[in-house]
Amino acid sequence: MNAEVCDQCGKCPSACPVTARIEGFNPRQIIAKVDLGREDDFMDSGVIWTCTSCLKCRERCPEEINPYDVILELRREAIAEGRQHPASYDEAEKAVTETGVVSQPQPARTRSRDRRDRAALGLPPAQKPKDQTKFTQAIKELKEEKA
Amino acid sequence: MRVAFFPGCTAQADQIGYEASVRAVMPRLGVELAEMEGAACCGYPPYSSVSEAAWFYSSARDMAIAEAMGLPLFTLCNGCHLSFTETKHALEKDAALKAKINAKLASEGLHYEGKAELLHVFELLHDGVGKERIAAAVTKPLTGFKFGAHPGCHSIRPSKLGRPDDSENPRKLDDLINWTGAQAVEYPGKIDCCGSSLASASGKTVMEIAGEKLKTIKGLALDGLVTTCPFCFKVYDNRQRAIATTIGDRTLEVPVFYYTQLLGLAMGLRQEQLGIELNQSPVDPVLARIGGA
Repeated sequence: MNAEVCDQCGKCPSACPVTARIEGFNPRQIIAKVDLGREDDFMDSGVIWTCTSCLKCRERCPEEINPYDVILELRREAIAEGRQHPASYDEAEKAVTETGVVSQPQPARTRSRDRRDRAALGLPPAQKPKDQTKFTQAIKELKEEKA
Repeated sequence: MRVAFFPGCTAQADQIGYEASVRAVMPRLGVELAEMEGAACCGYPPYSSVSEAAWFYSSARDMAIAEAMGLPLFTLCNGCHLSFTETKHALEKDAALKAKINAKLASEGLHYEGKAELLHVFELLHDGVGKERIAAAVTKPLTGFKFGAHPGCHSIRPSKLGRPDDSENPRKLDDLINWTGAQAVEYPGKIDCCGSSLASASGKTVMEIAGEKLKTIKGLALDGLVTTCPFCFKVYDNRQRAIATTIGDRTLEVPVFYYTQLLGLAMGLRQEQLGIELNQSPVDPVLARIGGA
């Protein structure tokens, strides 16, 4: 994860919108702990799920570390190890695998509390895979090949 | 100009007013939106934590559809545009992964080569359609209005992958606002995040982060905030009342528009054509001042 080249310069936490607001989330400290092999200090604390993915740390890092990618890698590890994580990740994965999209079209509310769906706005049907079985099958096979 | 139109899950399922405004405005600017039959999710980056292979598959598959159409892939969402860009880079670097994805795409008669150009709203409108054509289409210039531009994180970062606008001083959305006759005003925190991705971990923090920007816009007495990202819009517009409650500022009233809605109004289109009745923020005073909308 390249953590060993971190100078601990502090540009990432000073750019981070979360560090100022959520106790324990500090990309610089996360990198330091990864470098020391002490991921277990925070892996179950929930902090790795509080990144907004704003990418300021990735943009401002003077080294080739990319704290955002380190956090994504830690999330992948956490899920692979069966650690606790927000349910929305599994829900999104299930939705995409089974329906091709994260969310199904639903009527939207107007300011005067009426409902409008796609047809009412003159929009064509929403996009989705033509052959859902093939789409689902391809994703399942790719996941199995990886495992 | 003809483009393969990819609204993305959030716009097509939830932010249908945005999609309506894009469909109303683009043909009048000489952009033909070709339907992408069978397109699916962009890959949805957060989902990559659960299954990276599935992310690349879904993402490459959409690009393969655009490639088969021989058209640039036009996305409405900052997140989708970055997802496609990241996949493109990953498959360029990893020939084995590309071959693996292509083996799966073959069952639907698709093939990914990475040839389809990706177009963000800024690139299509600012760099493609351009100032002259937009100015010519504006029949009701929004003279006297001042707006703050919110480009959104994934349209400007990470610069190493090549983004639609500059990472530290993005100006394209400002130019686009100025071309409607309104004035885009610089404000502190313009390149800051809306916080939306935190919704699953800490809804309260999203409200605090987003509230800060809305307070800035209000403090400068601007007429509203303008964006093109459906995730950002959902927070600033759809959740504005919740933000006001969370940060304890009941006076927080900031009109929020999709850029294509604002442009449509300046082109003389009616608000029903632009899905503005679905905006939840207090846009009515602005609409009344524009008049006849």
